[in-house]
Amino acid sequence: MQKTKQPVLRGGGSINPGGRYWIWYLLPALVLYTLFMAYPMLDSIRISFYEGTTSARTYVGFQNYINLFTDEVYSKRFWNAFGNTWIFFAFHMLLQNVLGMLFAVILTNRTMKGRPFYQTITFLPVTIAVMVTGYLFKMLLNPQFGGYALKDMGLNFLVHPWLGDANTALSVVSLVSVWQWVGIPTMMFVAGLQGVSEDVLEAADIEGCNGWQTFRYIKLPIIMPVVGMIAILTFVNNFNAFDIVYTMTGPDGQPSYATDLIGTLFYRYGIAGEHPVGIPTPGIGAAISTSVFLMLLAGVIPTLRATQGKE
Amino acid sequence: MKKLVALLLVAMLALSMMPAMAENVELTMGSWRSDDAVQVQAMLDKYFEKTGVKITFQPTVPDQYNATLRLQLDNGTGPDLFYSRSYAAGAELFGLGFNMDLSDLPGVKENFTPASIEPFADAEGKVFAVPYAAVNHVVYYNVDTFAKYNLTVPQTFEELLALSQTLKDNGETPFANGIASNWDILECVFSGMVPNYIGGPENRAKYESGEWKMNDENFVAALTDFEKLSKFFPEGFESVTNENGPDMMALGRAVMLIDGSWQSGLLKDTNWGAFAIPAPEGKEPGMCFHPDMGLAGNNATKHPEEVKAFLSWVASPEGAVEVAASLPGGFFPMINAPVELTDPKVNEVLAANQGRVTDARFFWSKLMPMYKVMVEELNALAKGEKTVAEVAEVFAAEQAKTLGQ
Repeated sequence: MQKTKQPVLRGGGSINPGGRYWIWYLLPALVLYTLFMAYPMLDSIRISFYEGTTSARTYVGFQNYINLFTDEVYSKRFWNAFGNTWIFFAFHMLLQNVLGMLFAVILTNRTMKGRPFYQTITFLPVTIAVMVTGYLFKMLLNPQFGGYALKDMGLNFLVHPWLGDANTALSVVSLVSVWQWVGIPTMMFVAGLQGVSEDVLEAADIEGCNGWQTFRYIKLPIIMPVVGMIAILTFVNNFNAFDIVYTMTGPDGQPSYATDLIGTLFYRYGIAGEHPVGIPTPGIGAAISTSVFLMLLAGVIPTLRATQGKE
Repeated sequence: MKKLVALLLVAMLALSMMPAMAENVELTMGSWRSDDAVQVQAMLDKYFEKTGVKITFQPTVPDQYNATLRLQLDNGTGPDLFYSRSYAAGAELFGLGFNMDLSDLPGVKENFTPASIEPFADAEGKVFAVPYAAVNHVVYYNVDTFAKYNLTVPQTFEELLALSQTLKDNGETPFANGIASNWDILECVFSGMVPNYIGGPENRAKYESGEWKMNDENFVAALTDFEKLSKFFPEGFESVTNENGPDMMALGRAVMLIDGSWQSGLLKDTNWGAFAIPAPEGKEPGMCFHPDMGLAGNNATKHPEEVKAFLSWVASPEGAVEVAASLPGGFFPMINAPVELTDPKVNEVLAANQGRVTDARFFWSKLMPMYKVMVEELNALAKGEKTVAEVAEVFAAEQAKTLGQ
């Protein structure tokens, strides 16, 4: 049986050109990816050189980019959103991921009791829709709604228009997002730490390593690829962030653009148009997304090299 | 067996094609009023029984309507009939050739006043949509709370401020208005106040031509009163959204709410009344009565005759009555014919127009590019971050910039 089938696979029949039968396995994903990911992305680069919408599009060269970076309003909004996105990212990188690591180390500790319970609690917010999280926190943080409950508990000092104050809004939105997503790095670090061999840890014990030394010189180096992966995911996800701001403070990134991220800025200019006229300028939107794409690329490639290169 | 299956399939196919062979025409109607889907569809179903033309109501998420509609029209998948914005936003689509020219549609010129047609006509006077509904901006109040403190409906702005102070002194929150939604503070509150300070359309035109500046004594007076009013907004008004207003009224956490007539339906949990935003002492009272919705026909429709027939029906007194009944309370028909509003409460909102010079939102026609700046400035004024003089200067500078002066 085997002998009769093998030549078909190797020999280059009609569905097996030159023995490259793996093409058929690749094709469905390749077609979908090209059609729905690569093509729109390249097309958005093309659109960034045009003005107007589908029915009336004219080529304007680099004018959209020139406008984006030199026009008083556009450039002010872009750099404001760019700065806010970095702050939003910093919260996730420094707080969410460090907390994730801390939780993972605690959860994987050999003396830890009730691990599945705590693991579930940490992961639970991840399963809630962002819209729901955003709306709940919006009400909780509103002095006219959550504020009443806080006053009943005697916590008057916590009653503040957190999302209406330009000084606190971005930090609060970031913290809510950190609360929601901290389960992801936790789970990934847990998975990584579980892969650390017991023998190595035992040897470290015998050699007299303390907890910190075991973590710093044994566990951390072993899970470094996971750390790199998390860093990249955090970077990419947060530069695409949109939904949490949209639900908590609105598409304008209120108050006074304090929570405006690249994602909301792009949505306003490229997709929805600004209220109340609501006519988008896809060229500017595409110029924003292309600029950010290039910036992301510049950030991701060195990170990948630094953390994944050794494999 | 196989033959039987094949036969069944053919029979099913034939059956499914039956409606298509009948003479029924199916049209779609795009809208931003997803809240009214049930009532509007009921009205359209009645129209179907009468004419055999089936129209399906397909509303989108309100704040994504303009973008969605534009995308559909651009790609040739637009609805046959669609809700049109007034003034520039509506005229833009007409300029691109998406709307039918309805200038000669039977009923339009006969049944609407020129003032009602103007918001739905381009610079040359070509009509791009049938005027459908207008809204006004009023002060809603809790009747029981007013009675509790022996308060009466104020006749002047000074009286409004005085009674707000009385409420505040008694530990009540006078207004449920906030600034978190970033639109109602300008569209409902400030635009609602402005006709009391600048007068009707002919004076608005002076600001639109640049003859009058937006830092003149009229606007300074309006901004000063707005600032005084904002002191009676709730604690944490920076976080209070437009959606919170009716909830706060229902929960008894605020006594008054300045909002659009369309909100009246959401106040059902409050024993409410309504009055016009009062003018300051010595000023002639005005009222913001804003043409909000028009109904347009898609130029690319496959059934232009049926679309025009429907629009013509909407522009007739008979159709206007049906339409008015299907619209939620607070959307007032614009037809120049007596239309009875069944809800007495809603009639109270409409009655606030009586004896007042009415006009559209002052910036909607020509000063729209100032929108974002005005919202930001009003927010800053309410928060106490800027003074009236500073805001008036920014208004005047933006006005000059918008008018290219």
